[in-house]
Amino acid sequence: MTRAARCALLLALAAPLAAAAAGCGDTLDARHRLEAASARHRVAFVPQPAPLAAGRHFSLDLVVCPQGDASLPLALRVDADMPAHRHGMNYRPTVRALGDGRYRVDGLLLHMPGRWRFVFDLSADGRLERLTREVDVE
Amino acid sequence: MTGVSGNLRPLVRTLVPALVPARLPALLLALAMAVPACVAAGALTPTERARILAHGPWPPPPALDPGNALAGRGEAVALGQQLFFDPRLSPDARMACASCHLPALAFTDGRARAHGRVELQRNAPSLWNAVHARWWNWDGAADSLWSQAIGPLSDARELASRGSHLRALVGGDADLACRWRRVFGAPPPADDEAMRVATAKALAAFVGSLVSAPTPFDAYRDALARGDEAAMARYPDAARRGLQLFVGRGRCHLCHAGPGFSNGEFGDIGAGFFVRPGVVDSGRHGGIQALQASPFTLLSAHADAPGEAAVKTRHVYPQHRNFGEFKVPSLRNVAQTAPYLHDGRLASLADVVRHYSQLDLDRLHADGERILEPLGLSAGEQRDLLAFLDSLSDPGARQWRPPPPGPCQPAPDAVKPLTPRALAGPR
Repeated sequence: MTRAARCALLLALAAPLAAAAAGCGDTLDARHRLEAASARHRVAFVPQPAPLAAGRHFSLDLVVCPQGDASLPLALRVDADMPAHRHGMNYRPTVRALGDGRYRVDGLLLHMPGRWRFVFDLSADGRLERLTREVDVE
Repeated sequence: MTGVSGNLRPLVRTLVPALVPARLPALLLALAMAVPACVAAGALTPTERARILAHGPWPPPPALDPGNALAGRGEAVALGQQLFFDPRLSPDARMACASCHLPALAFTDGRARAHGRVELQRNAPSLWNAVHARWWNWDGAADSLWSQAIGPLSDARELASRGSHLRALVGGDADLACRWRRVFGAPPPADDEAMRVATAKALAAFVGSLVSAPTPFDAYRDALARGDEAAMARYPDAARRGLQLFVGRGRCHLCHAGPGFSNGEFGDIGAGFFVRPGVVDSGRHGGIQALQASPFTLLSAHADAPGEAAVKTRHVYPQHRNFGEFKVPSLRNVAQTAPYLHDGRLASLADVVRHYSQLDLDRLHADGERILEPLGLSAGEQRDLLAFLDSLSDPGARQWRPPPPGPCQPAPDAVKPLTPRALAGPR
């Protein structure tokens, strides 16, 4: 095998790996992108406005990426709570599907500084999954 | 470390005899001045510093009453001020907004529970900086200043004004009629509800202009932000210790957050919620239900282009834990607004500090929420916390008096109406 052929083969092998390794929600602003993951799904999201701050309403631009043979969710519920304080938000966010695994979540407010946990409940392939991501806000 | 290292000994031998005799008093004085500043600066941890800085700067960027096209407009503020202090706003000319919101008492009335035509259930809150709130009333039943104003304006226990009375008042007073026409570009509307809404928006324009000035705390906070240790040293030590308690062990900053010292939300602090035997004030729980039943929210046709401000109204929902929660009040000017809590049950700030120090956890009913715990403050710590709370007062707030209104210049023939929705009546 010539050197050129070896390079072509390596590139051909590397392409799917690179695609698989590509971050979920690459179109989101990388400076503020946060992620949550389970074995079957990854969720990438960016707050609007960013960065997150306590005491102001914000939205999330969110992307769900199925892993392996998983499907896109049929339903998505988003919430947030403070486990240490044992309370959630005072507002119920609304989730709007934009297609291709993209969502807009409106109406969130983290009303205290401290550690919050985003909770994403997905319904896909007949299963319910919960993905979480903790964040510290001031 | 002992003594002076070998390398420094020659220098010390040279300098000390030269400096000490002549400059010792000046050096000692400089040292004495520098030490308090160093102590003040050095006593803060990075976390404390960040938390203190989060309480400013003050004033924050101007806020406008949401859904109120009159907000921030000088002529509307002047009209609202005239109406606010005018007892003719009530049909029997006995009661004005200022009857329960006295400027000399930081726009409170000094009573435990407000007195309208009868004793009401709750304490009259201060109106200073009200425009910076997210919700209004102790239960947050109003999502704007103007919708809040409709309550006492219309309530039979308070001003009890109907639209017809308001229309007659404005129409029958040359100065008010002139100001009304300048603001709205039209005479008072014939529709009763539209008249009440328009009057409430003018009142809210005035109330929204009441933003208090910076306080001794703000001077300290700003000095900390710019690293001005000399200015920081002017803040009383007791107040600084109280501030450290506030953002530290006390965790008061969790709810009394930000430049306004309120997170704009609601909490159960074990204050009790019986109005009288057998009668309960459900607080935020009832407030959300009242909000959702109100025809005057930011989601209603009465709101002037509320935009993003309506997000809160669209997404708030009642939860079981809201029962017995009341609004987290701003602490700005708090030393001037006794008595305290939603029903004025605590006479002094010292009582409030003692309440948190000796908190009875059995009286909390917030579904196992774990934020509050008895602070067990010593007498000295309680004094420090009070010194800090005292430093949150604008020294000029109590001296505020309504500026005399200038003469009203009749409106030109063609004035573009400012609040077409307010004058259009219900749709």
